[in-house]
Amino acid sequence: MAKMKFLCDEERCIECNACVTACKNEHEVPWGVNRRRVVTLDDGVPGEKSISVACMHCTDAPCQAVCPVDCFYTTDDGVVLHDKDMCIGCGYCFYACPFGAPQYPQEGAFGSRGKMDKCTFCAGGPEEDHSHEELEKYGRNRLAEGKLPLCAEMCSTKSLLAGDGDVVSELFRNRVVRRQGRQEAWGWDTAYNVK
Amino acid sequence: MKLTKRNSALNTTKSGVDRRAFLKGSGIAASGAAFMSLLPPTMLQKAQASESGRHSYDEGDIKKVRSVCSHCSVGCGVVAEVQNGVWIGQEPSFEHPFNLGSHCAKGASLREHGHGDKRLKYPMKKVAGKWQRVSWEQAIEEIGDKMLSIREQSGPDSVYWLGSAKHNNEQAYLFRKFAALWGTNNVDHQARICHSTTVAGVANTWGYGAMTNSYNDIHNSKAVFIIGANPAEAHPVSLQHIFRAKEKGAPIIVVDPRFTRTAAHADQHISIRPGTDVAFVWGMLWHIFKNGWEDQEFINQRVYGIDDIRKEVAKWTPDEVERVSGANEAEVLKAAQTMAEHRPGTFIWCMGGTQHTTGNNNTRAYCIFQLVLGNMGVSGGGTNIFRGHDNVQGATDLGVLSHTLPGYYGLSTGAWKHWSKVWDLDYEWVKNRFDQSAYEESGGKPASPMNTKGIPVSRWIDGVLEDKDNIAQNDNVRAMVLWGHAPNSQTRGPEMKTAMEKLDLMVVVDPYPSISAVLSDRQDGLYLLPASTQFETYGSLSSSNRSMQWRDKIIDPLFESKPDHVIMHKFATKLGFADQLFKHIKVNGEEPLIEDITREFNKGMWTVGYTGQTPERLKLQAANLHTFNKTTLKAEGGPCDGEYYGLPWPCWGTAEMKHPGTPLLYDTSKSIAEGGLTFRARFGVEHDGENLLAEGSFSVGSEIEDGYPEFTGDMLKKLGWWDDLTADEKTAAEGKNWKTDLSGGIQRVAIKHGCAPFGNAKARAVVWQFPDPVPIHREALYTNRRDLVEKYPTYEDRRSFYRLPTRYGSIQAQDFSKDYPLIMTSGRLVEYEGGGEETRSNPWLAELQQDMFVEINPADANDAGVKHGEQVWVDGPEGGEIKVMAFVTPRVGRGVVFMPFHFGGHYQGKDLTDKYPDGTVPYVLGESCNTVFTYGYDSVTQMQETKVSLCRIRAV
Amino acid sequence: MMRVFFLITVMISLSACYEDAEITLHQAGVYKGKLDTHSQTAEQREAILAKRFGQVQTDR
Repeated sequence: MAKMKFLCDEERCIECNACVTACKNEHEVPWGVNRRRVVTLDDGVPGEKSISVACMHCTDAPCQAVCPVDCFYTTDDGVVLHDKDMCIGCGYCFYACPFGAPQYPQEGAFGSRGKMDKCTFCAGGPEEDHSHEELEKYGRNRLAEGKLPLCAEMCSTKSLLAGDGDVVSELFRNRVVRRQGRQEAWGWDTAYNVK
Repeated sequence: MKLTKRNSALNTTKSGVDRRAFLKGSGIAASGAAFMSLLPPTMLQKAQASESGRHSYDEGDIKKVRSVCSHCSVGCGVVAEVQNGVWIGQEPSFEHPFNLGSHCAKGASLREHGHGDKRLKYPMKKVAGKWQRVSWEQAIEEIGDKMLSIREQSGPDSVYWLGSAKHNNEQAYLFRKFAALWGTNNVDHQARICHSTTVAGVANTWGYGAMTNSYNDIHNSKAVFIIGANPAEAHPVSLQHIFRAKEKGAPIIVVDPRFTRTAAHADQHISIRPGTDVAFVWGMLWHIFKNGWEDQEFINQRVYGIDDIRKEVAKWTPDEVERVSGANEAEVLKAAQTMAEHRPGTFIWCMGGTQHTTGNNNTRAYCIFQLVLGNMGVSGGGTNIFRGHDNVQGATDLGVLSHTLPGYYGLSTGAWKHWSKVWDLDYEWVKNRFDQSAYEESGGKPASPMNTKGIPVSRWIDGVLEDKDNIAQNDNVRAMVLWGHAPNSQTRGPEMKTAMEKLDLMVVVDPYPSISAVLSDRQDGLYLLPASTQFETYGSLSSSNRSMQWRDKIIDPLFESKPDHVIMHKFATKLGFADQLFKHIKVNGEEPLIEDITREFNKGMWTVGYTGQTPERLKLQAANLHTFNKTTLKAEGGPCDGEYYGLPWPCWGTAEMKHPGTPLLYDTSKSIAEGGLTFRARFGVEHDGENLLAEGSFSVGSEIEDGYPEFTGDMLKKLGWWDDLTADEKTAAEGKNWKTDLSGGIQRVAIKHGCAPFGNAKARAVVWQFPDPVPIHREALYTNRRDLVEKYPTYEDRRSFYRLPTRYGSIQAQDFSKDYPLIMTSGRLVEYEGGGEETRSNPWLAELQQDMFVEINPADANDAGVKHGEQVWVDGPEGGEIKVMAFVTPRVGRGVVFMPFHFGGHYQGKDLTDKYPDGTVPYVLGESCNTVFTYGYDSVTQMQETKVSLCRIRAV
Repeated sequence: MMRVFFLITVMISLSACYEDAEITLHQAGVYKGKLDTHSQTAEQREAILAKRFGQVQTDR
């Protein structure tokens, strides 16, 4: 059974923000809510690296574990989703998440923090597939249409990969082999004495 | 804990049942209750999970429409999904050879054009300081009357028609023709301030001034050299191709004063002082000549004048290179050695190299470097010039420029006669549309404004402000039409404001109001006409690699906007030359037929081979994207078998000849008929006693196994090939050459015998017609290296250049370095494009860059007493000042500050929000960096010097 | 008359005390939200999406 995963190849990520914008486009995400973000380390100095981050759809999801109303569930594909109707907007999942994936819209039923919103791996939510409720609350359901998340499909350099973990790692393995030691990854030049 | 069922409404934005409500059904903008009431329950369909189709949330077929992104010149394919006339979705175009489905942030946000919340919705007029809505009829009527009265009082040259790189090819061609029939050469577009120095420098080196290879061809490069360019932000999808080369082992070298996002992925980054490109490139050549790494055989066969270059390069010892540019010997040697040892390598440049007073020197130096290494005309090599806007290449080729007609024919009598013939108009009638007096001389004889270069966009304000006796035309520019061109991309903001206020009439034709609407304090005489975007119309465009792509129409024009060619029809009708303008172009109602326009320029663009790309051939290619090989761009099988994607120009001859396009320029390893090419014989057959034609180098299949001049009818006769022409072709070709033979017979026969119609010559490293025949280094006008000004001075002031007095030395003579110690440079951000009004009005993009800023090195910040995130004043030496956020970062070296040029809407600390028409204020406003950028223009093309000036920073 | 009026008023005001009898009792660690249904099985989806991945990533 497939287990959906993201992988951002930070050697190719050029911080173009296509992934961020594609997500906004596809789900009409409002200003202030960022399901996906590009994080840049060492901005402006040699060694600068960018990586695109959204919900990692953890197998043992901390958000799921701490939610006081247990509004999270994991689909058969390994996608972590939640029921916004049940969400009370407490923000505890935000505490728990190591990646900062949970977001809270600026307006909402709770004043400054509304219902939690996060990346759905373009898999919609616990409403009927392709219903208007699903569209409004969670965004489009691309997985049910046989498509992959738009952020990965539109990545400018094909650095963001999304799909079944096995399939993604197969491709990435091929890529690494093809690069033949030109990795700028940490420690590579120590191990292989490549300058 | 008791839980109750929550209301399913999520109030994320204002709800409103208006025209957009239907669109809201496809997005999640409306509140649940308001929305649910719009649709009967039967609309909620159950899922039919289809593999590739978008699920339909509403009734109505979903149409898939193919188009091309309208932001940059990469030309990424776009698939739009349209339902009931509403643009509901954007899908990746996986089969498209240029982007393979990828986009950058701007491309991923295109669907917002279908929302258009901040667009200019209807024509507006400023009356007594307030915006008033008017009808199209009234606007055209009033504008037309004013223009006709200006024409009568001052002549046609007093109306400036500033066109756009965002026109599609048909609109660009029509615009140039429009200006010609109005009777002026005061017509220009963004290329002037972007790659004009490239086109001039490169075309004068080997014949054509365009990208020689393609983005995809970079897969084959063994090394990638990038100078003065930041493709990671300006052409993100091109990185996909550069990475393919990199991951096969190609070293990437980036030369840039800043450590850009592209430099972060490079193997070597070299920081040079802004404006020292020639010094650096000659520094590399010094090592190449010293070590004998040049390709002598290539030089002997195909290059003229290298010995003069050797003499100049000998002066650029490592010490001098370091003194002038700041690059030390080790890094220069390493770069040179890398390029020499990894051939074929490609050479990429953008505005960092072009936007200088010596821009044409820079571009020629880059070309000479590639010639010396023998990297031209090979796959993986070439000078891959990344153009800017989506159709700046097309608009340049189609002549929306003040110094030429379409196809680079120039403005000579011969050029006018050629185009008059194509337009089927009487040459004398066209001539009489112009001002009949003469204001300057050419070749010792008085030259009429019809044959003299018009004022370029970089200087339009001087056309307004300069004393009219000093301008080589009858009167000042009194009416300015900014058609798809932002004003904040040109320098000298305060003077522009004054110029705008002095005009009699100002007309802005744009999908957005643009800064033109708010910069000046005009109280009236200012019109805003809403133009449609390229997604609301259709036509062809030319991407940077010379491929022509066809766009289909995605949605109908929004609000009251109209496509450019429809607006041109309205103006032409009012101004009285519509019959001539559309003589052979069918007009349906008020819309000229796009395909007829394509066919018309197919009939006349022989110089650059825009003749074989008919609408039918282009549409067929657009429907068969998947058949094109993703590296060679050649269709393998399928209906377009053998053709290259986009039929890259030159696509010789008529469509019947079925030329496949020329993917790599100057590649002699293929026959001309298969897309190969030689260097153009444009400069004569000999100079100073030396042979200018190629020696021993010729295309595969060439019957002339040596160099040859450009083809004329007489030459065909001499060669005994005249009788290969048909009878009709003979009639047309008699006494004509390959550029003026409207039957295309000369081209056809030349190619039949394996020869390039434009000859087979050497590229020339010495351009004797230019101010600096051998490219040399000259200090910028505003330089803080006073110690170098004596040895490397700028040019002398000129009395009249493109009709205007132009200053050089008189500015450089003043020392501003004490008061303005920091070097100021400008550039791009990935989220925005150009003047920025379009992209800053897109909420998805605007959210990512909300503040205008100036990048300052930590040391300079401490010297000036400013901290990161604070507001600071940036003062320019010509009196402009702007208030921006300080962004303290080591990205930019000590002594240099950087600003993006996409912002506008603040002016010298004042917020101009109130001056925008209601509902059109972009989400993000900021100061325009060009408020402080200064005077300085290239010595050949009048390109503005926006990459090096001086400034000072002070805390607020 | 006043009494009838008073009685009706009380009855109407008491009707606001109606409560939705449907309550969900929370159990720790158990998801009790709406069910997410799919029209395909996980295996079918796996195959379709693997094919799609090949379309998206054409890393030649």
